[in-house]
Amino acid sequence: MLTAIKPRRRTIFLYLLIPTAVYIFVVFIPLLTACFYSFFEWKGGPNKTFIGFQNYAYLLKDKVFWESFYHNLYIVAACILGQVGIAFVFALMINSRSVGLKGVHRTFCFFPNTISAVSIGFIWTMIYDYRRGLINWFLELIGHPEMIKVWLNEPKVVMPLISIPLIWQYIGFYMVIIISAIASIDKEIFEVAELDGANAFQRAIHIVLPLIKNTLLVCVTLCIAGNMKVFDHIFVMTAGGPGNASNVMALYGYKVSFDQQNMGYGTAISLAIFILSMTVIGGSQGLVKRLTKEKETV
Amino acid sequence: MRKLGIIAAVLMLTAGMVFAGGGGESASASSGGISVNGLAYTGDLEIMHFSTSEEAEGNGGSDGFRTVLARWDEEEGKINLVQTILANDEYKKQIAVLAAADDLPDVFLLQGMNTKAWAAQGLVLDMTKIIKNSPYYAQYDHPKFYPFESEGKTYGLPVLTGGTCCVVVYDSKLWKEAGFSAFPETWADVKKADRFFNDKGIDTISFGNSGKWQINSCFLSTIGNRFTGGDWTHSLIEKKGAAFTDKPFVDALKFTQQIFASGIFNPDFNAVNNEDAREYYIAGDSAAFIGGNWDVSYIQATLKESDPELYKTTKFAVLPQPEGATGDYKTHDIGLGYAVAINAKLADNPEKLAAAVSLAQEITGPDFASYVAENYALGGLTKVANIDLSKFDQSIQDFYNFSYVDNKACDIYDSYISSAVWDVLNTDLQTMINGDIDPKKVAENAQAAYIANY
Repeated sequence: MLTAIKPRRRTIFLYLLIPTAVYIFVVFIPLLTACFYSFFEWKGGPNKTFIGFQNYAYLLKDKVFWESFYHNLYIVAACILGQVGIAFVFALMINSRSVGLKGVHRTFCFFPNTISAVSIGFIWTMIYDYRRGLINWFLELIGHPEMIKVWLNEPKVVMPLISIPLIWQYIGFYMVIIISAIASIDKEIFEVAELDGANAFQRAIHIVLPLIKNTLLVCVTLCIAGNMKVFDHIFVMTAGGPGNASNVMALYGYKVSFDQQNMGYGTAISLAIFILSMTVIGGSQGLVKRLTKEKETV
Repeated sequence: MRKLGIIAAVLMLTAGMVFAGGGGESASASSGGISVNGLAYTGDLEIMHFSTSEEAEGNGGSDGFRTVLARWDEEEGKINLVQTILANDEYKKQIAVLAAADDLPDVFLLQGMNTKAWAAQGLVLDMTKIIKNSPYYAQYDHPKFYPFESEGKTYGLPVLTGGTCCVVVYDSKLWKEAGFSAFPETWADVKKADRFFNDKGIDTISFGNSGKWQINSCFLSTIGNRFTGGDWTHSLIEKKGAAFTDKPFVDALKFTQQIFASGIFNPDFNAVNNEDAREYYIAGDSAAFIGGNWDVSYIQATLKESDPELYKTTKFAVLPQPEGATGDYKTHDIGLGYAVAINAKLADNPEKLAAAVSLAQEITGPDFASYVAENYALGGLTKVANIDLSKFDQSIQDFYNFSYVDNKACDIYDSYISSAVWDVLNTDLQTMINGDIDPKKVAENAQAAYIANY
């Protein structure tokens, strides 16, 4: 009887073949061909000239690219603290016995995650608007008109300003993941800790954090991966401006490829984004593992 | 396999960076009309353009283009005209990707700045003889072909309407109150008026540059010409020795930086686009606005309905003359930014080529020019004699005279050279008008991009 419900190997293979083929076509072939074309000068038409590693040599000296990479790192750092950090705090608060309407809180926190990044960009552009924006309206209201600024035209503050919408959008996403991780912790541990006199902060640091360490690591990895390719809402809010003050790697690659019609260098940038993202993700995972390992051995 | 590779690479670029939502408007139309000019070709003929139905509302060029195109389609019943219609921004990106993949449609709109590169790569058909043999050759306004020429050959028939890219739209009533019977001829006078408008609590001039191209197309092309003269621009285009680092151009950049620092513009000029800035004018929050003909169409259409009084008092002027500029004062950058071009592959199919040529000639020919002249008081590639302006209201007449009669034309910078150069310059210009980069450095960066890409 068992053989009747066990699928044949050929059936399993055929089922797997379709997604594997799609995955190869949309990921591996473009990756390999992009790698191939990054060795060419390919500007404004089909003609390509083999130039070896010149695109990469130029990339190493390209100040705009490295400035954009720094902006990506800034956003990653802001979002790890903002998205995952605040999500962790919110998850603990919602799990607290003193908080009611947990479902409502979860829904409201998760809601921004359902809005498209483009709409988020427009919403926050309106909030930062010089004439009719909420921030300047509030500053006027509290009697500080001298603090009114054209917020998105301030190179010194534009990076935090474009990070805020991103943080706001994804808090709910990470909160849901963390809540489910906390739910899997044996409740008896909390009860024992409470009997021992541990306060909420001590329970969060000494019980919750170590027990959901792996989930947090997944959250951090997702956060880095997501923010290394951030594009949409920055495109809407500032288009990387003023100048290059809020430019990020994906936006720069897009502009080089499509606005400047430099496909060869654009593919080199794409590959650099891939390599740098993998390096940052790998580096962060290695760092977290090393830190937690050291702690365990201590 | 080679093509598959190109498509895959483009897919990689696109997937890695952006998934733009929505496709274009696509229309495959085959009318039941009878062929009247004896074209032998039967089958599909592709055309890609950006005159969407939304764009055509109130925009004379797009409306005329769609109208004449539909007429041709109806007359050539045996030919199935396959149209791909995208919004302008998407069109520019998609046509560049298709060019990179060597997969351009049969007929398309060629941007002036792509002419040299695409011609050199054999993507566009040399139309020099076709143009000379055109039945409308004598009626063509020949200087309009300049952006579409390369090494003595012409690669397209300039299309749509010749609209200004740089016009000051101002409320003559407000400026009269400020003590000026017409818009000032010098920036010093504009600064004087600024005090009056500040007291009134409105901006003197509104301008929007969040898209970064506006400062180039709607300001610097004209101001630069006032400092450098037209010969310098042509020398730069033809690579005859001019450089962005030449003193007159750097002076134009310095002036641009100074005037944006003077406070006569809305403080958020770098954070809003031209659509927002023109709303400031419409709402009465600014006494003047600087933009292009596309903004004028919108302002006229809106004010006619919402504020007939402001519609009546709205007038048009060229940019005031900067101190130290020696070029002609009464100038504005105007031209036809696109031309109808034909895929070079059609040379192997004479019957299809004849159909494409017929289409190109009609949508740029006298039918189109008459339509836009009679309905919108606008000009196209072919000259229209004795346009009856009397049937238009004063505002339309004023704008016609501003565009074609009272002032001289100068070149629109980004109709030429290369998008790679303008992208670098425009990005730096945005920083420069914030006061965060030296004009000399801007010129050096632009020159480096010019050498690397042109």
